[in-house]
Amino acid sequence: MTVGSQVKTCFSSIKSVEASLQMLAEKTYEQNSYQAFKDAEAIITEVKNDLQKQVIMLSKEEPQYN
Amino acid sequence: MPDWVIVIGKSLLLITILFFLTKWLGKKQLSQLNIFEYISGIVLGGIVAIHTIEPDSNILNGLVAMAVWFLVPYAVEYISLKSKSFRNFTEGKSTVFIQDGKIMEDNLKKEGYSTDDLLEKLRDNNVFLASDVEFAVLEPSGTLSVLPKKENQPLTAKDLGLKLAPQKEPQAVIMDGKVLLEPLANLSLNTNWLETELDKMSVSIENVFLAQADNDGQLTVDLYDDKIAVAEPTEKPLLLATMKKCQADLELFSLATKNEEAKKMYEKNSKKLQAAIDLVQFHLK
Repeated sequence: MTVGSQVKTCFSSIKSVEASLQMLAEKTYEQNSYQAFKDAEAIITEVKNDLQKQVIMLSKEEPQYN
Repeated sequence: MPDWVIVIGKSLLLITILFFLTKWLGKKQLSQLNIFEYISGIVLGGIVAIHTIEPDSNILNGLVAMAVWFLVPYAVEYISLKSKSFRNFTEGKSTVFIQDGKIMEDNLKKEGYSTDDLLEKLRDNNVFLASDVEFAVLEPSGTLSVLPKKENQPLTAKDLGLKLAPQKEPQAVIMDGKVLLEPLANLSLNTNWLETELDKMSVSIENVFLAQADNDGQLTVDLYDDKIAVAEPTEKPLLLATMKKCQADLELFSLATKNEEAKKMYEKNSKKLQAAIDLVQFHLK
């Protein structure tokens, strides 16, 4: 696997984590858990945005692997 | 009128009255009754017994006696609810048997407890060594309450300084193969969600004997068909594992890359992810 595809894999895992957290936050009826899930989701979203930029950059650097 | 008809009539009448009297006297367990309440209960029963099998007895006398034996304990109970000093008088005070780890021999003697009795009561509380006890008190009801020394108390999450996710009571959402709509609504979930979750486990709703959902909407089921193994809910452990994996990946990227800017970005995000893991970790266990 190239670095580009590794980062892409990680990026999609992060997206899945974000979605799972969102789902758990909606399902729980315990206020503390809800807040924790929401906070974590916000952090993960920031990470996701950074990684997305990185994915785009890497695909520009290594267009032959796309 | 033959005697047996009178007996039947009286029995039915007295049973009804006794039923209501005992109901009004309260819901205390037999073991929680003090001696006075205990005896008045027995006397009430005794009065009923005498008057049911004695056809010649005057039922009116019986009813009056019952009324007295009901009203006095009732009044005593009512007043002792209102007044602490009256309560001390009627229900008695508790007696300290062990204080600061030392047995109070005088108090033992006063209550008529031998050393063997004390040891037996301690063993009832799973204490086999009297020196393990910090404080023990004999309640007015006759039970011994024991506070073990701190080092002999069971370890709690608080002692360890552990943070635990709060837990609400789980709700039964399926019983005997039938969906219970009210608990589902309490969890703000609907039947569609339930069907999806059951589909995920590939079980049909008719086969479910009992299904419970916890406060995070995780479903656990028990099936009629015990030969089928049901998967444990994996959503939360899986999520935690994925988060940990991503965090490790980011760390790896930051070590592998030679681009300074990218390295910083990976490091920063790996730290962020670690913070997120710390945040939800104990909610996902």
